[in-house]
Amino acid sequence: MTLRPYFTAFGLQWKIGLRYRIAVVAGLVAQMWFGAVTLMAYASVYHAAPDVQAPLSLRQAMTYTWIQQSLFTLLPLGCLPAIGDAAKTGAIVYDLLRPVDMWNWWLSASLARLLGNAVPRAVLLACVAGPLAILVGLGAWSLAPPADLTAAVLSLLSITLGALLSATIVMWWNILTARTLSPLGSYAVGTPLAVLLSGMLLPLPLYPDWIRPFLLAQPFAGITDIPIRIYLGTPIPGGVATGLGLQLFWLTTLTLLGRLWMRQTVNRLEVQGA
Amino acid sequence: MQPPVPAPDAITVKNLRKIYTVREGGSWRGKTREIVALDGISFSVPKGQIAGFIGPNGAGKSTAIKILSGILRPTSGEVQVNGLVPWTNRVAHVARIGVVFGQRTQLWWDLSVGEGLALLRDIYGVEPERFARNHARLAEALDLGAIMDQSVRQLSLGQRMRAEIAASLIHDPEILILDEPTIGLDAPSKLAVRAFVHELCRDRGTTVLLTTHDMHDIEALAERVIVIGHGRILADSPFEDLRMTTLSERILELDFHGTPPELALPAGAVETARAPHSLTITFDPRQIPAPALVAHVGHLSGLDDLRISRPSIDEIITRFYADHAA
Repeated sequence: MTLRPYFTAFGLQWKIGLRYRIAVVAGLVAQMWFGAVTLMAYASVYHAAPDVQAPLSLRQAMTYTWIQQSLFTLLPLGCLPAIGDAAKTGAIVYDLLRPVDMWNWWLSASLARLLGNAVPRAVLLACVAGPLAILVGLGAWSLAPPADLTAAVLSLLSITLGALLSATIVMWWNILTARTLSPLGSYAVGTPLAVLLSGMLLPLPLYPDWIRPFLLAQPFAGITDIPIRIYLGTPIPGGVATGLGLQLFWLTTLTLLGRLWMRQTVNRLEVQGA
Repeated sequence: MQPPVPAPDAITVKNLRKIYTVREGGSWRGKTREIVALDGISFSVPKGQIAGFIGPNGAGKSTAIKILSGILRPTSGEVQVNGLVPWTNRVAHVARIGVVFGQRTQLWWDLSVGEGLALLRDIYGVEPERFARNHARLAEALDLGAIMDQSVRQLSLGQRMRAEIAASLIHDPEILILDEPTIGLDAPSKLAVRAFVHELCRDRGTTVLLTTHDMHDIEALAERVIVIGHGRILADSPFEDLRMTTLSERILELDFHGTPPELALPAGAVETARAPHSLTITFDPRQIPAPALVAHVGHLSGLDDLRISRPSIDEIITRFYADHAA
């Protein structure tokens, strides 16, 4: 058993992700725009009600937004495009013809695609929203540094788990695509779920009290929300360990159930024909 | 003395059945209907043979090909390919076969041909030396030099098919399965593909299983033809045998510079078509040998030209299906 094919799948998708440089720039502009608009909205809301004790300070809400925007392409918005294409053209049968473990093969590719998209954007956006914003005198609107060194290290660990978790959720979209032979369903389901439940639309800590525990406990919180909370040093109910624990729990659960679903799907493809 | 051990069969298929269950209508509780795609077929292919699978659309060819490739599970029956059961030993099985589906691509649109081949090297775990050897051999035999650095989406269909065939052989599979490898190709590309497959079998002893709608593929390549229809094997024989048993007819075409005369034809020959300047006669050479018939018509006045042809393989197969349609 060699890991080589999985590294190869990773390398391939990473390369494809990086190949679209114009998309990176366009995405950056869009995310800066949305980030700026969101920030202005927060500023006016916070200034309108200075006495309310919000779960996040204005500065924290701004930093949350910047990180969230910079990690937009890390979200599991739909299936891996290559699998969507293969499902439409029928070339997906070739994936069954490879002497590899299909879960690991698709997972490596999905993870690479997420990282290939997200890493360049995140680095660029962090530079623009961090040092550059401070240099041009917009320090009050900038991306704040992590709460402390521990927060920095743990949030790095947490975002790594977040990326793996996101790739695992993409695997579910991939399987859905293989079953329905169309990528559309995965986008129709994946995009709203991911945008809403990851905290992209509104930071999860800013939702009403009664719903917050549920939002924290669902898997999408583990992609960016938990890492950002650790970065900001805002309290997570049960502490940082609970945050990391939730990520590990979902990673394990979704992998085990996903593998079962995959096996059943491959069986079905084998029985009904792709 | 023991009898010599026969060459082991590369592919053995026994009483293979495949029934698809399809749901009629879109509703949740729609009725299901069973479609019998393969109704108990049996055959075996010895190592190093090129066997052609022919049959109309829906005959069960693709189903059989998919089962042999390991991506489809039969309803019942036994299959061994290289001594493995394809659907129970999928990973081990697929590592030892090469497959080309003519209507689909296994290379990566975003990558060049060379990058795609390198990727397959890693997937199949081909050692660097063996890869370099195969790469050089395939690039030369399939004339890939000029397109090695082009991305797959820029290739013409003919170029792409040559690249696809190289992709299916980079790991030295013992069995090559070609599902309509010449579909949509122009004449030179078809000839190139046929020549390559022929050499592959001759020089490397690769067993080849081929499906096609192009009867010239079969004529040029297959030592053996398996005709499949309605999920059953209708014939399994050398191509020439099929031609002899199914249709021994010959066709005589006569061109005249005036109106063709009325003819009294000998037994075994019938006039089958008449045009203002030509006449077509179909005859059975067992009743009236060609030279005798030619002698019979050769003195006709106004005769410009005459040609004798055998029916095309398309006609043979069409006739064959008609005979077995009962």
